[in-house]
Amino acid sequence: MNALNVTDLSIDFPTARGVVHALTDLSFSVARGRRLGIIGESGSGKTTTALAVMRMLASPGFVSGGSIRLADLNVLALPEEEMRRARLRRVSYIPQGAMNSLNPVMRVKDQLKDAIVTHEGRTEREVLRTRIEDAFAGVGLPEHVGSLYPHELSGGMKQRVCIALGVILNPELIIADEPTSALDVVTQRQVMQTLKDVQQGIGAALILIGHDMGLMAQSVDELVVLKDGILVEHGDMRRVIVNPRHPYTRELVASVPLVGGESFLGNSSVVPDVARPREGLPLLEFENVHKDYGGITALHPMSFSLCGDEPRIISIVGQSGSGKSTMGSIMLGFNPPSKGRVLFEGQDVAGMSPLQLWDFRKNVQAVFQDPYACFNPFYRVDHALSFPFRRFGYATSDAQVQDSMHEACRAVGLDPALILRRYPHELSGGQRQRLIVARALMLNPKLLIADEPVSMVDASLRATILKNIYDLKDRHGISIFYITHDLATAYHVSDFVMVLYKGQVVEAGPPKEVIGDPQHPYTQLLIASIPWPDPDRDWGGTTTAAEDIAALDASDRDALTVFRGDVPGFRLDVGA
Amino acid sequence: MGRIPRSYLLNRVVTLLLTVWIAATLIWIIPRLSPVDPADIMLGRMAAGAGAVENADQILERLKANFGLNDPLVVQYVKYIRNVVIFDFGLSTATFPTQVSTLIARALPWTVGLMLLSVVITFFIGNALGALMAWDRSPKLVRVAIPAAMVFTSIPPILSGLLLMWILAAKLRWFPLTGAYGLTVEPGWTWGFVQSVIHHGFLPALSIVIVTFGFWALGMRGLMITVQGEDYVTLAKAKGLRPRYILYRYMIRNAILPQITAFALKIGLLVAGQVLVERIFAYNGMGKLLYDAILDQDFPVIQGVSFVIILMTAVSVFLVDLVYPFVDPRVRHDGGEA
Repeated sequence: MNALNVTDLSIDFPTARGVVHALTDLSFSVARGRRLGIIGESGSGKTTTALAVMRMLASPGFVSGGSIRLADLNVLALPEEEMRRARLRRVSYIPQGAMNSLNPVMRVKDQLKDAIVTHEGRTEREVLRTRIEDAFAGVGLPEHVGSLYPHELSGGMKQRVCIALGVILNPELIIADEPTSALDVVTQRQVMQTLKDVQQGIGAALILIGHDMGLMAQSVDELVVLKDGILVEHGDMRRVIVNPRHPYTRELVASVPLVGGESFLGNSSVVPDVARPREGLPLLEFENVHKDYGGITALHPMSFSLCGDEPRIISIVGQSGSGKSTMGSIMLGFNPPSKGRVLFEGQDVAGMSPLQLWDFRKNVQAVFQDPYACFNPFYRVDHALSFPFRRFGYATSDAQVQDSMHEACRAVGLDPALILRRYPHELSGGQRQRLIVARALMLNPKLLIADEPVSMVDASLRATILKNIYDLKDRHGISIFYITHDLATAYHVSDFVMVLYKGQVVEAGPPKEVIGDPQHPYTQLLIASIPWPDPDRDWGGTTTAAEDIAALDASDRDALTVFRGDVPGFRLDVGA
Repeated sequence: MGRIPRSYLLNRVVTLLLTVWIAATLIWIIPRLSPVDPADIMLGRMAAGAGAVENADQILERLKANFGLNDPLVVQYVKYIRNVVIFDFGLSTATFPTQVSTLIARALPWTVGLMLLSVVITFFIGNALGALMAWDRSPKLVRVAIPAAMVFTSIPPILSGLLLMWILAAKLRWFPLTGAYGLTVEPGWTWGFVQSVIHHGFLPALSIVIVTFGFWALGMRGLMITVQGEDYVTLAKAKGLRPRYILYRYMIRNAILPQITAFALKIGLLVAGQVLVERIFAYNGMGKLLYDAILDQDFPVIQGVSFVIILMTAVSVFLVDLVYPFVDPRVRHDGGEA
């Protein structure tokens, strides 16, 4: 018997502009013990499907047709009280926003306890305690975690708590909605494998919702591809990935950047059309820069110098907490180093006069991770683009400002006529992220710091945005620091890669060497953790991931950086 | 969590003392910038009473000497601060020679009793109604009736007070018109007196509650709507928890946190905020004392009352600072947010 049968399910959202069909005639089923993946971009109806199965659709959405059967339960016809009892006990939901899914004012164990007690009534204290301990042990969490509050846990730990919660009542079906999208690759692999293990342990069916074809290839048996609420392809995972029938599926498979393989950037032999006369001083230098926060070292001493005669893309890769964003904010002058100096064209950033700082801000632009947080919601796009342009004194006339905005929009593949008069909330994440690139482009900076510029956009858009950023170097002669946890994209765009681990550069050199043939165990772990869209490639079991990390922790901390070669125009020194 | 670390406590205490000291200094400076001379006013009052005052210049000198106004400013300031520490604000000029501290001691219990009670009641009623307004499972009637009741919030307290007096006291005669207790009862811990106090306090309290509950209700409603969209509330539903439990433990419990901070500030301001209510109900509390003192330009009393207001604000903020880490585990004792 199938754990879940969805037949001809349609979901509508009545809005002021008419009815939006979030889902149209969707049918699929999943048996106990099996894993089904639902893949699609944001807005494709993945989460809507999950919420419909839980019968938790947000108003005004409603089921306009079809049926949902959870084994013998007719979900759509169940009285509310019975539906409530079915949640968690029959079907559990592991939400997307692991960061924010736990009640901040309750201890973690109490959030498991209230679930057990609600469904099973009063339970003896000792029994409760052992059950919760076992649940934590099952997802690889130490016992003391239960007495902590959510803010005291890392993202990976919170997601494990959610998994422990999801399986504590042995449900028949587990729905995991992008359970690892906020985690870095190493943690993602661990969490995903934990999820697979506990799912197999209780023999439940699993629905994994996501947008990453690689993750699907490593995690599921069967795959459903959704586009705009319509099922475009459904079948055995291996078949769908190896031999996709629908063009959209092909696009999804192809959009995953691979280490090695063909570059998604296309031919990049364009000669920069901007010649940058240099006055001999390096563009950006770190002189023994070291950062600690209250005794904890975030960045070990390092020096580098980017000459800037020729534009370069330097990638800084590492897990969350590796110190890569700290490095970025130090470069931008937002975060003064504890020791050492940051020099921009020979001038110490910390000791700049207001005028010099103004010039520094003009020449060093940033692209941040969250395209939603980067715009003031009260202003239209044209204001957001023109304000810094005028502020930095580039504007000569209104017509010229307009021209520059149009040109910048076209450079990142947006139609200025459609975009400029809109408010940020009317745009998609990808559009916003491209606008941020456009804004940076308008200011014609010498250096761009891009901190995870594509981690929050759909896979199919990543390539486009990275191409936009790459063009900044290629066509406009701008040097770029690309901060990311995504090694595959770093492999393709960069001239030089630094791998950061616990604030230390462990491996550095050209990407073909560092990422193509990693030598340091940490770099090797990062590469091994990437989920490949290839069902035959071994991602390792739960124990592998844990062993790899243990081996790394045991290895010599003070081991020297592995240097894999140089690139003209960039020099790196590590250590004091 | 657990015990409050000593360094945090020390930090808070120093902040508290510093705030009070700065406030006391300002209270001392501001009247000295005023062109009005309190000794002149007293003399004027004496003149008004007796027709003419002999030896006016001598008396003026004596008064100035008594008030210490002839001392150098530094000496005046040091004396002032020393007196503030023992709550000695000197003598009232309007009801000379009563001690300001005596006047305050007489008025304070009435204000604290009435105001504190009504502010606490308002806090609970307002937040409960605000939560119900936002909750998607509230009965329809509740969600319609509460916003309608909010109309009262837009009425100035003086008007709503008069309205209540007119309906409940003048027309229906359910409650006395003015005063803090009946003229016929003897103040003391007797049942009759307590009854009279409650009876007299009801109208002013009610007028405060109906005017201010909207502040809490609207704030709470906004906070609840934010919390309702949080992932942990979605997960709580997915856990199959009972709706009421989710409302209390997941929604209200989180939404109430900013309201607690606001509550501390309100307590400090309750004296200043309810001056008019005390005035129209002829309720002999701090508000009325301040009101009369301003009319009489009775500087020592104004200083004393202002100081008490500041002290109450500072102390309630201090208390909330100490309690907050226990209500919100994200606030660590070393001062920062996690």
